[in-house]
Amino acid sequence: MRNIRNIGYRLLILFLSISLLSHAQNTATLSISGEVLTPLELKKEDLASYKQQTYKTKGKEGKEHEYKGVALVEVLEKAGVTLGGKLRGENLAKAVLVKAADGYEVVYSLPELDPEFTTNVVLLVTEKDGAPLPTGEGPFRLIALQDKKQARWIREIRAIKVVFVKD
Amino acid sequence: MNHYTHILPRIKRKWLLLCVALLKVVLSALKVDDGKPEPYPLVYPANFGGRFTIPADNPLTKEGVHLGRMLFYEKQLSADNSLSCGSCHQQKLAFSDGRALSVGVDKSLTSRNAMALVNLLWVRNFFWDGRSASLEDQAVFPMTNPHEMGQSLDESVRKLQQTPVYPALFKKAFGTANIDADKIRKALAQFERTLISADSPYDRYLAGTYQPTSQELRGMTLFMEAPAPERGMRGANCGHCHGGPKTFKELFHNNGLDAAPKDTGIEAISHQASDKGRFRVPTLRNIALTAPYMHDGRFKTLEEVIDHYNEHLQESATLSTFLRGTSNEKGGKTLLLNATEKADIMAFLHMLTDTTFINNPAFSDINYSQKQ
Ligand code: HEC
Ligand code: HEC
Repeated sequence: MRNIRNIGYRLLILFLSISLLSHAQNTATLSISGEVLTPLELKKEDLASYKQQTYKTKGKEGKEHEYKGVALVEVLEKAGVTLGGKLRGENLAKAVLVKAADGYEVVYSLPELDPEFTTNVVLLVTEKDGAPLPTGEGPFRLIALQDKKQARWIREIRAIKVVFVKD
Repeated sequence: MNHYTHILPRIKRKWLLLCVALLKVVLSALKVDDGKPEPYPLVYPANFGGRFTIPADNPLTKEGVHLGRMLFYEKQLSADNSLSCGSCHQQKLAFSDGRALSVGVDKSLTSRNAMALVNLLWVRNFFWDGRSASLEDQAVFPMTNPHEMGQSLDESVRKLQQTPVYPALFKKAFGTANIDADKIRKALAQFERTLISADSPYDRYLAGTYQPTSQELRGMTLFMEAPAPERGMRGANCGHCHGGPKTFKELFHNNGLDAAPKDTGIEAISHQASDKGRFRVPTLRNIALTAPYMHDGRFKTLEEVIDHYNEHLQESATLSTFLRGTSNEKGGKTLLLNATEKADIMAFLHMLTDTTFINNPAFSDINYSQKQ
């Protein structure tokens, strides 16, 4: 009798933890992986500790929007990507592959992101006009202010992978 | 060297030549018989790009592809010897089967529409929900699914091993007559990688050898361009998801079929709410041959498909942002193309039919043609 009850409790706990787990999976995260020292799995809230920047810029449809986010390079630094003094030699053959939920992919090179190489800024944004990015655009998006065409302003980012370009 | 041959007596020279010739024959016979399968050359247009990987442990060989073709049409791979891959993937229909849902060995229906098998070399995530990462993996699903071929791999191995033909074919392809599940999957994958469609009028147009009609050209522009009513630009933006020389980009979207989809697509795998109703964007190659359309085969004709994008998109939280509010009228919710424009797009879709592909003798049912 007792055993049966015990099993019942265990099952209950198991089911609860499974449902909690699957719930946790529902909040979209951004993974930073590949040629990094510390792989990261970021939630939107995790970006609060970084320096926030805002930019006003015109979207594709010509309307002006205010985007808020953090410099992508700072997130990569946190993951231990070879930037700054380490961005030399073979590390210059690395690329940053950014993947969206719809399978769309774009590439940046490390020097395009590193402030020692460029004054351009690529921003990892989470807010537009004071509100979280809407479904289909967020929770994470990149904006590359220097790009004349917005094809690398990739929406719904799920993963960033630093890779060696192999020929 | 040369002056040596000079001083050789005539007769001796003749003998020497004969010996050399004989040696050549023997050597070439040895070469054929060395048991090593010959590499299979893949031919495809440069504008398709080289973004594909063939697993290092399953290189394409002529013998492997031949075996794969035999297996693709082999009904003994099904529980009651009634179905082969070719039953649901028929060459004349660009390797689809003309049904909304297919019938398996247990006479029940598959849960989704049989996909056309075209240019699989460039696919990285197989099935409507992208759940399988390689052709070698993929083949296990239809073979063992009780609603498809419904037979365990062990049983398939046992049946093939007992046939007079297969052990020898496996030996030629893989160097051993001991059949196993792994080799069945590998051979099938090899054959599937050769199913390249690259000779439609659209391909020939891109290669500069076909001059499209003016209607086809108008359709092509509408298909590729996004509408911009503020600039007076008309378009249907299909190319955003279906564009490129292959008319296939590996993307996953909710294209607005249902406000509350019963089949939730990749959400069921990813458990991300934003994936609800998201499916793989299928290739539009040979699309005129692969009716009915969509993952559940709900549309019988291409006209219905165009009407869907034009007038009937279902709004939901996960409707693709590339479809929402994309319109030829300011403030419009759907495309709002006129009847001529719809007909133009139809004309372009028909440019994607590759008759060379569906008649290619290298892809046909080899068991059947041998019986003839
Ligand atoms: C009973 C009908 C049926 C049979 C038999 C069948 N298939 Fe399929 N095939 C389907 C259906 C249905 C789908 C789509 C399933 C899904 O997405 O869940 C499919 C999808 C595929 C795909 C994915 C294509 C893509 O672009 O992602 C491949 C590859 C494939 N089948 C190969 C095979 C092979 C190889 C065999 C034989 C071993 C086979 N099929 C037997 C019905 C069938
Ligand atoms: C936002 C991306 C997107 C756009 C833009 C788009 N489609 Fe699609 N299309 C899809 C997806 C996703 C599917 C598969 C949906 C499913 O079955 O659930 C699909 C399916 C189809 C199919 C059926 C394919 C098959 O094998 O059953 C046709 C035909 C088609 N689209 C034509 C068009 C045309 C024509 C346009 C332009 C008017 C267009 N699409 C615009 C994403 C898109």
